[in-house]
This record gives sequence, C-alpha cells and structure tokens, in this order.
Amino acid sequence: MSNWKLINKTFLYDGTFDGLLTIVFDCYSTKTLPQNIKNEQNYNTNFLDDNIFITSNYEKSERVFKGIEKNICYDALYNSYYAFLSNVKNIELDILKYLCDGFDIGPKINTMLTTSYVYNVISTKKRVYGECHRFKGLLRFIDIGNNLFYSSIHPDNNIIELLGHHFINRLPSQNFIIHDKNRNIGFLYNGKNYKIEKLPKFVLPELSDDEKLYQELWRSFFKSVTINERTNRRCQMQFMPKKYWDDLIENP
Amino acid sequence: MDTLEKLKILSDAAKYDASCSSSGSSRENTNNGIGNGSMAGICHTWGADGRCISLLKILLSNCCIYDCKYCINRCTNTVKRATFTPKEVADLTINFYKRNYIEGLFLSSAVIKSPDHTMEMLIQSVTILRKEYNFNGYIHCKTIPGCSKELIDKLGNLVDRMSVNIELPSSDSLKLLAPQKEKTGILEPMSYISNNIQSKKMDKSKFKTDFVPAGQTTQLIVGATPESDLKILNLSENLYKKLSLKRVYYSAYVSVNQDTNLPTLEKPPLLRENRLYQADWLLRFYGFEANELLNETHPNFNTLLDPKCDWALRNLDKFPIEINTASYFTLLRIPGIGVISAKKIITARRNFNLDFSMLKKLGVVLKRAQFFITCKGKYYDKVYKMNPSFIETNLLSQERLSLPKPQFKQLSLFDNLLPTKEDKIKCLTGNL
Repeated sequence: MSNWKLINKTFLYDGTFDGLLTIVFDCYSTKTLPQNIKNEQNYNTNFLDDNIFITSNYEKSERVFKGIEKNICYDALYNSYYAFLSNVKNIELDILKYLCDGFDIGPKINTMLTTSYVYNVISTKKRVYGECHRFKGLLRFIDIGNNLFYSSIHPDNNIIELLGHHFINRLPSQNFIIHDKNRNIGFLYNGKNYKIEKLPKFVLPELSDDEKLYQELWRSFFKSVTINERTNRRCQMQFMPKKYWDDLIENP
Repeated sequence: MDTLEKLKILSDAAKYDASCSSSGSSRENTNNGIGNGSMAGICHTWGADGRCISLLKILLSNCCIYDCKYCINRCTNTVKRATFTPKEVADLTINFYKRNYIEGLFLSSAVIKSPDHTMEMLIQSVTILRKEYNFNGYIHCKTIPGCSKELIDKLGNLVDRMSVNIELPSSDSLKLLAPQKEKTGILEPMSYISNNIQSKKMDKSKFKTDFVPAGQTTQLIVGATPESDLKILNLSENLYKKLSLKRVYYSAYVSVNQDTNLPTLEKPPLLRENRLYQADWLLRFYGFEANELLNETHPNFNTLLDPKCDWALRNLDKFPIEINTASYFTLLRIPGIGVISAKKIITARRNFNLDFSMLKKLGVVLKRAQFFITCKGKYYDKVYKMNPSFIETNLLSQERLSLPKPQFKQLSLFDNLLPTKEDKIKCLTGNL
C-alpha cells in the first residue's frame, strides 16, 4: 500500500456498512487513499474539505464482503464490522487501510499488531465487544403488558443489533424492545422477526402491580446480598461505572 | 410470611458464599424455552462490596440442624428463620430471569431434618424449573455433605455446576468448629462427582444429557482458623490436580458469631484473601506450583508484594528474560505480563522484533515488567541495576493505596530509587 496515491479529498458515505465497503472497492481498484472518510449523517460541512459523496453500491459491497472472507479471513470481517459499529472518530479510514492491506497480505494481517491502523481496528473491535458483553448483563427489561418487555440503554457504541441477537437466542418467545436512547433507535422483536428502526416519541404505560412487586423484590435482594463488612465502593465503580446506573432498577 | 420478607432473610443468609460465576456451560435453548447458558459467564450487577451479582443467590431454607460455630445459620443462633417452597423459588427465578436481572439460580440450603431430605427439596425446585418451566439458564446447586449417591446423580443431571464447601482447611479445625461434619463426609461426594464427570465425559456420545457441564467448585474460609497460607494453597493445588475442580473460592472470615473457639476480627482479612486469589490464578493459568510460591521458611504471603513479584525477587537468577525469544510459559513468569499480553507478544513478534514502546501498547504493565526483561538485548533505559533491594524499593515506591505501610528499615546507599517526576522537575528548576 506504500506506493498508493494519496488524494486530498474527504469521502462521504451514507453511514451503512455497504457504503463503507463500496469505498473500499473504489479505493482498492484505483489504488488511491482519501484523506478522510466521514459519515454523511453527522458531518458538518467544512470550508477546507474537498468532498466526494460515494453512493452505496450493493454489487460492489457484496464483492468486497465475499472477498474479505475468501482472501483475508473470517476474523477480518468480524474485526471490521465490530469496529464499524464503534463511535471512535475516523475509524473508517483505519478500516479501509486494514482491509486494503489485508487483501495484499492475507490472514497474516491480524498478527501485525505493531502497525497502528491494524492495532486500532482490533482494539476498537475489542472495545465494542466488551461494551456489548457488559450490556448483556446490565440491560433491564420492564414488563409493559401483553408479553412485551421494554428496556432503555445509553451505550457508547451502536450495539443494539448485537445485543438483540443475544436476547433472541436467550428468550425466543418473549417480545421485546431495546431502545438505544443515545441514537434514538430501537431493536424490535415480535417472537419471529426483528427490525431496527428510529423510534417515535412515546410514553410508557403505567407499571402493573406484578412488575412493581418484582422490581421491589430485586431491589431488596440487591441490598441484602451485599456484605456490609466488606463495603468497597471503589471496586464496585470500577466494574460498573456510574454512567450505567441511570438505567438500572436497583439504584446501586 | 410474604415472598419479600423470605427473600430478604434467605438472601441475607446466603451471602457468605463467595461463589458467583456463571461460566462454563453453553447449555442451549431448547423447545422455545427460557434461557441459555453463556460459556464466558455474564455479570449482571455489582453490589456495594464490589462483588459481582450474576446469580439469584438464595438458601432454600435457613432452619439448620447443625451447630457450626462460624456459620450465621447455626441452630443455636437467634436469627429469623424462613423456608421457601420449591414453587416459590422457581417463580422468583423465572421472573427475575425474564427481566434480565440474573443469569440463573444459585441454590443452597441449610440442613433441614437430614441431608437426604434437604437434597430432595433441592432436586424438587430444580426439577420444576427445568421440566415445568423449560428453563435452560444456569443453575448452580450445593450438595449437602453426607447425602446419598443416587441423589447426587439425580441432581447432577439437572444442574450446570455443583459444589460442596470444605470451609475449614484441616480436619482439626473441622473438629473444633464444625463438630457434626466429618472430613470424609465432605470429600466423598466431591470425589464421587469428579469421577462421574470424568466418566461421562469419555462416553459423551452415549449420554445425551451432560452431567454437571460446568464442573464443581468449593470454598475455603480464610482467617477463622490458624492454618498458614502454605497449607491452604497446598490443599487447593491438590483439589485442582486430583479432583480437577473448576474453582476454589476463598472467603475472608467475617465475625458473625461470638464463640471462645473463634477469633474476633475487627475487619475480614481481605488482603490475605486477595493474595490467595492471586496465587490461585498463578496455579491455574501460569504454570506455577504451590511449593514455588511458598515454602516452610516463608509459609505466608508477603503483604507488600504480590505473589509473582515476590517469587521473581527470590529467583532473580532466572532474569532478565528476552521478550523476543522467550517461550510462552517463560513470558508468563514475568511480573507485569499476564495471559493476554503474553499471547499478544507471541502473535506480534512473528512479524517484528518488539521494543519497549510496543510492549506498552500491547498492554504489558511496564512499571513492574521493566525490571525483569530485555528487548533486543537491551534493558529498559531507567533500569541500571539487577539486585533485589533496588528492584524491591522501586516496586514498593509505586502507588499502593490499599496496602499496609512498609516497616522502616536501615537505608543503604546502594538501593537508590529511580528519580520521580518531582525530582526531575526539581532538577530542571535548579532545586537539586
């Protein structure tokens, strides 16, 4: 990739993984690297930037998608998709470099941890994976009647898709909504199919007596299972930083 | 008595069980049931004592016939008593699980009437969960010492993890503090379970249901009896090797009862517990042996240094270790390098020779590792001596909030500290 042409332009894409893979296709076929890649949806126009909007092309992205699995390895697909879901700034450019280099080098790319963009992509993947794992435990469902369960979370990264699949495997006959309040999108599951979409404004119905009882039971269990002689708030906050506390039922 | 009251009493009574993990079982969701296992385990919240809460940890009953001196539920104590019905336990578990409060159930019990009777009650609760509610989540169940083997078999086929608590690490202590329990009554079910797991593993194809897929664990109380750390660690090592236990938990003794045979501790010995856990990890993942870490002349852990640093300082002839050539298990012996960073080093050095800045990026704790390693044949630039007192003073001078203060000792001209940031600023401003 060292002899590639650097062009002084910013590529814009529509914020989908397909869009990003289209950019990878274009860059790899023309052997050029842009200065930056930005998501069009949260991009503020800059006087100095020279922008090109790249429209998602399904055929191109499909070819890249298959190519990654075939020519690099499954892990590369996994790494780049998880990194794509993160909120890290300018990670798109690192993903582009990682994939383009990967096509040249092959699966060995994942061992090149001393190269900065490889390291960035892999460590970002770990961060997204880690946050997702944390929320598998910290997410709380509220029963709002009719076998429908609602939960709201404030994650840093866009993890509701990953979380949703975990809960579909776990509670397949339970209808649920996972509401990402930072992005205002929801993962909706009705016992058979799921979809992810923007949620309109809505008010939760009043809680049933049963729900109130179980919340109360949970709070009292949380309190009584703690050994007071061993109180260690610092340790608690290390595992569960305060930013998560608002969405919890137990008020730690 | 309503469920809320019962839950308060019985979770309060169960909290001294240290076991909290929900890992080791990948039980799948079948027939559109509720729940599945997660191999890595999931923590759902953390209590004010910093311990994770992943399972609904309760006793089925705290009406005990035994009189173990260290235990809060001993029959001569005047605490509130309560008993759940098996149905209540199952309902509570399902409703908590549906709301994602918990990862599963941890069910233990005081001994009601007789060990066998108690076991039957436990089996009944678990059967309702598995069969009636089609619950596939994690269940950890205590085995009652002295129960019959058929009941162990029955329970083992339903749950993910079983445990028998040894509690007191020697038979003398057992006689003193738990006169109604016997050493054989505890070890027999443990070896029976471990044999069963081994044999069922071999012919997995024949048996569809796994017997205790997440293995068995136990717990030792630290600080209630005078055993040394060496004795406790030797016991754990034997348990891991001979009975292939998954975990041994250590629980710092909390003074809940007054008795002439019990020590009165103001605070539970948390630091000692922590050192034992550190050593336990060294046994299981780092290839250490108990007699390397402790011996007759050092029967207890150093309070100021962690077991690995302590070992490294006593074995300085094995250092420095060259990062770019050392084997995996040699890397693991370096203080500041753990399982994850050792694996990363092995992967990364296939392409390039590593230097110190790269090590830092890979997650090696250089503040400890710097004294024990070389990169491309070079020492870390600040390290210019390889003697125990120099390394010890520098390791101890690092930030240690929770540790006791080191005792004063004779200063020597030759174990000088590395210059701190303040020293350097003093040099810059001409103060020094």
